[in-house]
Amino acid sequence: MDYMMEDAQNAAPEAHETAKLGASTQRSDKQSVTKRLQSELMQLMLSPSPGISAFPNADGNLLSWTATISGPSETPYENLTFKLSFAFPNNYPYSPPSVLFKTPIYHPNVDFAGRICLDILKDKWSAVYNVQSVLLSLQSLLGEPNNASPLNGQAAELWDNNPQEFRRLVLARHRSVDDDE
Amino acid sequence: MPPSHVPLSVARKRVFESVFASTSLGNTVPTPLATPNIGFAAPGQSFGLATAAAVPQISQSLTDETWPEQVNWDRAWHVATAFLSFSDIGFAALSLLDDVDDNHLQDLWGLSSPSQEAYDALNFLLAPNSPDGDLHSSLKEYDLVEWYCNEMRRHFLANFRTDILKILHGPDQSDILTKVVAYLYITQRIYYTRFLKYVMPKLDITEQEASFSKLQRGFHAVVAYSLPSSQTSALLAKEITAKAIIILGIEGGATGQSGTTDEHGAVNDSMDVDRLYSTSYREWRKEPSEAIRNKKMTDAEDVQVIIAREHLLSLLEGVQAVGLGGNKGQKVFATVMNAMMTEFIRTSYSGQWDTPSLATQHLRLWVENIFARLVVEVLNVFKSPQSERRSEAHLDVRLSDVEKWQEVGIARLGALRTSELFDVIVEWDSSSGAIEDLKHYAHNPNARYSLANSFIATLNQRLLHPGASTVEILQLYISIIRAFNILDSKGVLLDRIARPIRRYLRDREDTVKVIVSGLLADTADTSPNTTDTLAELSTELAKVHEQYFQSDSGELDWDDMNWIPDPIDAAPDYKKPKNSDVIGSLISLFESKETFVKELQNMLGERLLRRRTDFHREISVLELLKVRFGDGALQACEVMLRDVFDSKRVDSVIRNDQGLVKRQPPQGIVTSDRSTTSSETSERIPQLHAKILSRFFWPTLQGQSFRVPAEILALQQRYSFGFESLKPSRKLTWLNGLGQVTVELDLEDRAFTDEVTTWQASVIYAFQSPSTQPSMHPVTKTVAELCQQLEMSASLVRSACLFWVSKRILTETLRDTFRILEVLPNKEEHDSFGAANNVNMDRPGNPPTVARAAAAANAAAAVAAKESADAATMEKMNLYWQFIVGMLTNQGAMPLQRIVMMLKIAVPGGFPYSNEDLREFLAGMVSQGRLEIASGGNYKIMPKH
Repeated sequence: MDYMMEDAQNAAPEAHETAKLGASTQRSDKQSVTKRLQSELMQLMLSPSPGISAFPNADGNLLSWTATISGPSETPYENLTFKLSFAFPNNYPYSPPSVLFKTPIYHPNVDFAGRICLDILKDKWSAVYNVQSVLLSLQSLLGEPNNASPLNGQAAELWDNNPQEFRRLVLARHRSVDDDE
Repeated sequence: MPPSHVPLSVARKRVFESVFASTSLGNTVPTPLATPNIGFAAPGQSFGLATAAAVPQISQSLTDETWPEQVNWDRAWHVATAFLSFSDIGFAALSLLDDVDDNHLQDLWGLSSPSQEAYDALNFLLAPNSPDGDLHSSLKEYDLVEWYCNEMRRHFLANFRTDILKILHGPDQSDILTKVVAYLYITQRIYYTRFLKYVMPKLDITEQEASFSKLQRGFHAVVAYSLPSSQTSALLAKEITAKAIIILGIEGGATGQSGTTDEHGAVNDSMDVDRLYSTSYREWRKEPSEAIRNKKMTDAEDVQVIIAREHLLSLLEGVQAVGLGGNKGQKVFATVMNAMMTEFIRTSYSGQWDTPSLATQHLRLWVENIFARLVVEVLNVFKSPQSERRSEAHLDVRLSDVEKWQEVGIARLGALRTSELFDVIVEWDSSSGAIEDLKHYAHNPNARYSLANSFIATLNQRLLHPGASTVEILQLYISIIRAFNILDSKGVLLDRIARPIRRYLRDREDTVKVIVSGLLADTADTSPNTTDTLAELSTELAKVHEQYFQSDSGELDWDDMNWIPDPIDAAPDYKKPKNSDVIGSLISLFESKETFVKELQNMLGERLLRRRTDFHREISVLELLKVRFGDGALQACEVMLRDVFDSKRVDSVIRNDQGLVKRQPPQGIVTSDRSTTSSETSERIPQLHAKILSRFFWPTLQGQSFRVPAEILALQQRYSFGFESLKPSRKLTWLNGLGQVTVELDLEDRAFTDEVTTWQASVIYAFQSPSTQPSMHPVTKTVAELCQQLEMSASLVRSACLFWVSKRILTETLRDTFRILEVLPNKEEHDSFGAANNVNMDRPGNPPTVARAAAAANAAAAVAAKESADAATMEKMNLYWQFIVGMLTNQGAMPLQRIVMMLKIAVPGGFPYSNEDLREFLAGMVSQGRLEIASGGNYKIMPKH
């Protein structure tokens, strides 16, 4: 009886405590994500890399961005620009952001919904990557697709066998997102 | 109900009368002097025949014996009342009688001995055992005492009331109360005399007292209710106030009142007696020992006070006697005493902030000995009817009441101190006594709450506005911290009060700068400019250091005998902030240490670059700050200091290696790993010293870039070479804009030596004569030439030239053309020089002086400084431009409003410019073709081609 009482007395505040702790960790997580994204943005602004750029969306919480990459020269994507959307999870940078092509793109490693097959956005993700490095990887992916594991089999085949047709399909599929808006 | 139906009707009557006794007599109130009223005729009888007619009925009536008695009684009543009633002589007659004695009064009021008849009548009516005493005593109308009271009331209202009112409203306002009381006293005596003389003795001995007090009460009631109470109360209050001011020893009041006490002789010229017994706090606290002080308070009784006291008490006795006292008087007195206490506290203690504070002690003694004494005395006079019945020994004032008054007094003192708090804080250090007083007050949550609120209100009104300099605010904040740490060591109040200040300070741009410069200030030479630096901060930093460790013991200290619980208004999880001391509070003003550390770096950098041999002050400050911030945060500063010391060593090594050491006295030079300064002398080989800074750890150093003289450049290269051989992986970047140069100029008629900046030195070096022989034609150069030669901005060149003009080395012959002044002009030349200059300056009649040239040089320097600041702004704007580009590239075209909003969100630290500034900036970009304005005022990025 006595022990039970004691237990009850001890248990209650603890449970309370953990609940509170949970809430506060969550909050501090979110703060640290924001802080991290803010510094990434600053870094992007201070040392812009040619051909890539990114900026948070206007919703004000910094967790979704829009990025722009221009196709590398001497690839079928030359002179084309592509928009991408970034959605950062709450535990970023411990989980990768989900990245999608918003601009329709014809590419062996990108499907028609814009989903990307890139190892660093999946299992090879590490907290040292950031928006800039992801964008640079994607830019190089445009020039050097990984044809071993294509999402778009036709594209993979044409890349190897028929560059002219590939280029034609790229141009046919590409359309500027801005024009739609 | 005719009496003939005997048995039943008699029975009925009995029953009826047992309930409504003597109804037949109930309405037979005799009308004095008028008709001899004998009551209504019984049924069947004719009026006026009552006596005779009654006889036959005696046998039938049960009240048979009453009838003749009733008649007798009625007659007696008439006679007695006729004798006792007052004639309607008004106050006019009475007022003649100011000083008349009793006899005269009796004459006037016809109080001659009663006639035999009246005497008998009185005897009859008042005889204790009168047969119908029982019958009549139960009826008010038949009670002679009662009748007398009514008669008195009637007479008073009819005759005296208006007269008294006339006095009350009269033009002569002095001593009204005394007069009124005197007149009321006379009227009272008139009424009482007759009663005492003729009525009282006839009464039964047991009833005498009761009936007299009844009469008294009646009179008091008439007086109290017939006179306008607001006026009498006001008068009474005025009188009491006047005397109480003297009796209670309220300063200022006492001297003001001395005029009224003139008539009482020596009071006026006994002011030193006054002082001897003064209750004044100021005098009192000078007494050294507590025993003397206590004695002083209890014994003190000044002549003036005694007189005032006697006056007041006698007056109040009069007031009480005529019925204006009692409960009403008590109320008035309470109101006055209430005001008096506040007044006393205000006059005695305001501005008395010395420490140790004895104010509460003094106040308690005062309440106990002086205030309470007066209350006891006055309440003794102003007895309420209830308290009259109590025994004489009983005091209306209990000890607990006195204690309550003391508490009230302390609370008032607290309120006074609260209202003074801001000034107390301003005067801080010499005003700690006031805080001690507040300590006694700020116990309960309400007091603390109001204290905090009123203080915050004062702060907002008097301190937290643009008119107050940051230094002032910080200064006061420091005082507040110190004061409130004493007041409330747990820091709850401070926490509450400091919030608005801290919030406000955070908004001020120069707060960090002031704090940091205060910390680094040299304690030794603070005297001249204490107003613009917070030098005491550095003192504080060193001082508090030891306590910082001691107080930081974390958990509860069980051996702490001075432990007190957290204040009642503290939040349950309240914990005293660790850094509640002055330095801690200031440092924690800002959310992150970064702001602070950054400013510290800037300030430190500036100081370290100065040419000094030691930096003890900086080292010690840094060490002390490290205790608070931890080593990590101040690492950069640490490196900066190390750089300076290392470079001293490295400098000497390199100079040895490179053979730069000369036997000449060394000239000051500064250099750095990516930053430099140089120096030169006119003919000899200059000495170059450098400070080598690690760029990564130093704040961005702004400096104009320009080309140093070839000679110096060669030295720099040698120096760099030496450095790179010493530390192979590192490279020197020279910051020519920073540093000092000792310049020696040999002119034809004089030599000039001074320490100047590098750019000033470079400019004057450009004027150097090509040959060692002084030429006949002094070197003349234009600003444009110099700009080209030195790759220096025009404003900087001009600033340097004007500097040399102010030193009388150069002279401006034409606008932007400068010539060496090889020979100082004599008088005439000076005039012509002046004239020439006047033309140039377009200001005739204003001879150029050295001072004016110096002013011009300063102005030019300011222009140059602004130019470099503008460059910095542009650089900043460039960053924003990157943001805008990123935004417009990714989010598509946007209107201005949206851009501003996004910048505010996205840029760390916010976007400091207004919509207008941005619009201007964007317009510039549009004109450069980097932006275009699309439909709807949206800005759109232009694709790069």
